[in-house]
Amino acid sequence: MPSLKRESRTSRKTGFLNILPVEFTNNQIDTSALPRYETVVFRKLESDYLKVIFIRLAIAAIVLAVLFGISYAFVEVDTVGITTTIVVAAIYLFVAIAWIVSFHKRGFAFRDHDVLYRSGVIATNITIIPYNRIQHVVLHEGLFSRMFGLAEIKVFTAGMGSDIEVPGIRKDEAQAIKQLLTGKIQKQLS
Amino acid sequence: MHDFRQPQRQSPVGVLIMFLDTLREYIRALWPILVVMLLKGDTINRLLYVGALIGFLVFLGIAAYLRYRKFTFYIDEDQEEFIVTTGIFSTTRTSIKLEKIQQVNINQSLIQRIIGVYELEIDTAGSSDKEAKIRAVSHPLASALKERLLEERNRLEEITSNEPHEEESSAFIKISLASLIKTGITSNYIRTVGVIVAFFLTMLDNIMRWGDAGEEFDIDSYVDYTIFMQSIFALIILFVVAVLVINLVRTVVRFYNFTIDRQNKSLLLSFGLLNTRNTIIRPERVQITAIIQNYFQRKMDVLRMKIRQAGDLDSRKTQIEIPGCNQTEHLAILQLLYGCNPEEGIMLMPNFRKLVFSIFLAIVLPLSGFFYVSSKLDEPQELIYLPIIYTVFVGFLLWFGFRNNRMYVTDRFVIIRSGAWDITREIVETHKIQAITTSQLFWHKSLNIGTLKLHTAGGTVSFSLGNFEIIREYVNRWLYKIESSDANWM
Repeated sequence: MPSLKRESRTSRKTGFLNILPVEFTNNQIDTSALPRYETVVFRKLESDYLKVIFIRLAIAAIVLAVLFGISYAFVEVDTVGITTTIVVAAIYLFVAIAWIVSFHKRGFAFRDHDVLYRSGVIATNITIIPYNRIQHVVLHEGLFSRMFGLAEIKVFTAGMGSDIEVPGIRKDEAQAIKQLLTGKIQKQLS
Repeated sequence: MHDFRQPQRQSPVGVLIMFLDTLREYIRALWPILVVMLLKGDTINRLLYVGALIGFLVFLGIAAYLRYRKFTFYIDEDQEEFIVTTGIFSTTRTSIKLEKIQQVNINQSLIQRIIGVYELEIDTAGSSDKEAKIRAVSHPLASALKERLLEERNRLEEITSNEPHEEESSAFIKISLASLIKTGITSNYIRTVGVIVAFFLTMLDNIMRWGDAGEEFDIDSYVDYTIFMQSIFALIILFVVAVLVINLVRTVVRFYNFTIDRQNKSLLLSFGLLNTRNTIIRPERVQITAIIQNYFQRKMDVLRMKIRQAGDLDSRKTQIEIPGCNQTEHLAILQLLYGCNPEEGIMLMPNFRKLVFSIFLAIVLPLSGFFYVSSKLDEPQELIYLPIIYTVFVGFLLWFGFRNNRMYVTDRFVIIRSGAWDITREIVETHKIQAITTSQLFWHKSLNIGTLKLHTAGGTVSFSLGNFEIIREYVNRWLYKIESSDANWM
């Protein structure tokens, strides 16, 4: 691996070796034996959640259609209007595809000591939150999600930008998850 | 001896502070209306306006007086609470448990200095809304109250820690005026260049418009042209000097007499020429330490440190800047924060695609936009040197930014080095990590590169397009470390 090498130049320059940490043990860990997060099998979201996405997309489409319909009725149609329509339609299509792709990408997993959430459209993002860093857990039911008996689990930490929101979980399961996570937090506190 | 058991008010001059505070709030909210009214109104209206203004000031004065009357503070000895009551018509009562008080700071702003009062600021372990400020008290009262408020905490600390309690606080580092001046003239270059470029562009824009409007303006005339270039050159030099002086004055005024004291295990900072400020750094609350140094500063042996503590997003409070320390002072601060100088360990470099991608984002995209727009203009060749200047400048920044980008990993620390001119090293202790995000674009899978984000309670650090296998290996290691211990992250 070309990008991996010992850096000693800077450390010699700063001369940190003169200040050695006191009472600091540093036993070697067998890293190959550690559990690997990248091999975790993710649970996909409930397929009903795709319907929720479709409902949202349909509503957006209706709103856009009404807006454009009104403006077409009152304003004379010219090239600018047509270009705008095409651009908006392209953006809409793009967003719709992104949402559907991201539905298939999203997944979650619970291990003994942490929760993992996978998301993304062209990238694959995996966020890992150790249970002992969770601040609180929220169960959220959206309007459309409730129609299909789905709920969303939100996990908050003290870290910035690291909260995860997992939608499309069956409500009873979401409640069980919330119970599990709350239990883990309480165990940390006691 | 002061008795804090009875509710008491601030110093009577506190009315003035309250008045100025309220005035400032209103002006901040209403200044556009005020300006418009002053400019648009005719003489009669202006008279009305002045009358309204006087009425408004009287109203503010009454409000300030009521606010002063209502503001009381006392210590409830039975409940062991410090109680502050505020309000004008409605009353807000804030009670703070004495044992929760982390720190009491005595500050003084310019106005407070002129009037001769001090401000007492009470910091608690909890969230930001459980904080109290007393805006105007005399110095003896402030010190006595501070001592009384911290009594409980010191007692608690003595019980919990077995170590002997070192009461004395020693001046640990004092940053000299010379170092401040060095920092002042060597900081904020990129911003300066940006300001100059923006200024230059707006000026150019104006000149071109002027040239379009007036037929007389003949840029091809040689004499006119040299004078024109000379004056632009002189303006730029004037501008550079002005920005340097402003930077210098700002740094010196803000950080004058910067002193760091050691008290127990924390660092006490106090600084400021006009506004004197006190802050405290607790090593266990420090989340990210950034060390910033550019080429000139390295030659002069000064650097800046920015320390981010756990807390709310109010960055003024959570981010503390230490300007102009030298190598030994900075090592001493690190020693105090971490018990060692964080070593750099294994080094990771970003893949060259990072450079390619940032060139695409910062050069190719803007330039294609520029050429598209200028192709629609009548005389596109007049602006041809702009994209060249831009490309050279941004190209240099991107190249050095890429060259300097590194991640160093040991079991205890992650150090991320970045920046083109101001080289920043961000130090994160692995047990302070709250969550980890790894991210990979699908076409980077076979190349084995990806991005790492470490979320801490003081912000996020990230390193993109490094060797993904090593990143994942370290993620697993850090997770093991975080999950197998209950190390305190705050």
